[in-house]
Amino acid sequence: MSEKTILQIAGLYKRFGDFTALHSIDLKVREGEFLAIVGPSGSGKTTLIRLFVGMDEPTDGTIWLRGQRIDTVPANKRPTCMVFQSLALFPHMTVGRNIEFPLKVAGVDPAQRRERALELLDLLRLPREYYAKRIHQCSGGERQRVALARALAFDPEILFFDEPLSALDFRLRKTLEKELKDLHARTGKTFVYITHSLEEAMAMSDRIAIMRAGRFEQIAPADEIYSRPVSRFVAEFMGEVNLFPVRADDDGVIRADGLALDPAVAARLGLHAGEAGTLMVRPENVAMVNRSDAGGAAPEITIGGHLRAEYNLGSRLQYEVEGPSGQRLTVETLRENRFGGAPGDAVTLGWTLDRCHVIHGD
Amino acid sequence: MEPSRLSRAGLLLYGILTLGFLYLPLVAVGFASVSKARYLSFPIRRYDTGWYAEAMASDTVRDLLLISLKVAGLVTVISMIVGFFGALAFARYQWRFRGLFQKLILLPIFFPQTVLGLALLMWFNALGVVPSWHTAVVAHLVWISPIATLIIAIRAYSFDPTLEEAARDMGCSTLQILREITIPLLMPGVISAGLFAFLLSWGNFPLSLFTTGADSTLPEWLYAKMVAGYSPLVPTVGVLSVVASAVLLAVALLAPTLVRLWRRNAAD
Repeated sequence: MSEKTILQIAGLYKRFGDFTALHSIDLKVREGEFLAIVGPSGSGKTTLIRLFVGMDEPTDGTIWLRGQRIDTVPANKRPTCMVFQSLALFPHMTVGRNIEFPLKVAGVDPAQRRERALELLDLLRLPREYYAKRIHQCSGGERQRVALARALAFDPEILFFDEPLSALDFRLRKTLEKELKDLHARTGKTFVYITHSLEEAMAMSDRIAIMRAGRFEQIAPADEIYSRPVSRFVAEFMGEVNLFPVRADDDGVIRADGLALDPAVAARLGLHAGEAGTLMVRPENVAMVNRSDAGGAAPEITIGGHLRAEYNLGSRLQYEVEGPSGQRLTVETLRENRFGGAPGDAVTLGWTLDRCHVIHGD
Repeated sequence: MEPSRLSRAGLLLYGILTLGFLYLPLVAVGFASVSKARYLSFPIRRYDTGWYAEAMASDTVRDLLLISLKVAGLVTVISMIVGFFGALAFARYQWRFRGLFQKLILLPIFFPQTVLGLALLMWFNALGVVPSWHTAVVAHLVWISPIATLIIAIRAYSFDPTLEEAARDMGCSTLQILREITIPLLMPGVISAGLFAFLLSWGNFPLSLFTTGADSTLPEWLYAKMVAGYSPLVPTVGVLSVVASAVLLAVALLAPTLVRLWRRNAAD
């Protein structure tokens, strides 16, 4: 992946009547990267991708592809291609004809088309006999591969995906996620992938852009989004999380309800005098601190509570703890480290400063 | 629950009776066409196939067939084209007056055909158009093209709009999308609409009666001869007309299988 920008958008707006689907979106997609755009339904991600490929026109704003303005170029003249959620495979054509379709439109001669289609079947690890198969004879996973082969036959500058894996069962989806990541590495193309599943985005992409109500909330590599979210929304969207409101008084004293916070530690949270924020810690970074022995790194921040329930997540165990002001706290641990308490037991939760993160602002 | 033997026998009998009720009258016409007697009476005492020879040789019958064929053929072709685009407007695209269009387009089907025929005749007179088989084509279209539209629209409803978007995304112009995606996918609907259009026009009597002027189609002639000048030539021509429809239907039913076999042979 290079640092060169392939796609750039600036000040993009899309309105449908009174409803503003996209609010002044800015984004730079790097050449050869795998970018996932993630958001809940209705966040505007599908609207955005439709503007990218030209199926809708922006109300305002500009899109450049390699420095050339494309927002005014019709869809059939743009060098981009999309894999649809429905896959949009042509039911009246064979697998081979589907893959060849973009080449046929481009006027490539039949022998060359066929050869390229067979190469793409090889690339997608589909048997060459599939060339003559009908679409309805293919399984769900095979159809995904055919749709991918067809998009690659178009040889787009950027390949867009509109949640193509969402209709598949869990195991097949996991397999195809790996294949897609592998395909990205082998082709070196720029992939922009839209999904509502963060897990899917984490598994495949180099960078993740989190969308909310028509705006980007955060654009960063997966690790950073997970451990250093910029907002409560991102923190909560990225899975289970414990959040504590914290506030620095005008004289610099840090107040955090229920948290036992040493002034020396509090000073390192990075809050300015008069500033409010949210202290975030992931369940796997919280430990059950036993009353007498404190093994491992000494917790720097602790909170008391009562054990409510234990859940078995397979490889891990999850504990639900009720905090001092009745808030629900979550702790996760490997199953070897079972806590073994009974519901109602008083417990102390603790973690070190380097495992938590402060989200600034209310 | 498995039906009992008795109720199964009852259902079978009911089915046979229904089919008998539908097809026996046609059989009666068949018998009448091979009677030697000039007037229709049962039981038939002497059989004769001479009327078929006469029908084949008759110039009148040839002209009738020709006019009916011309009318039905034109109605078929025009209904298929109008119905195709009508169905796209009916089922495929969202536009402002779609709801109104959907209601108005279907209305002519429910008009009594005699009234529709009379209304059209009055219009042709008012416009100074002399009625002939040409005007009958127009009259048939008023009634048949909505039916064709409806048949194709049913197919268009099951059409995934992202197929057209995908084709455009891969570089297709509007015309290429129509040729490569929309027409092939709607073709089964267009063909059955064409079949319906032909058969409805071929057998139509009330609209033709009012609008053919001096020309005459097969059903009109059959009726006229029943009223005055009956001979076994009437049921004979009737049977020939039914046979023509049946052959057309049989070909249409067999066509997909034949095409598939032919394609398979061509591929090998």
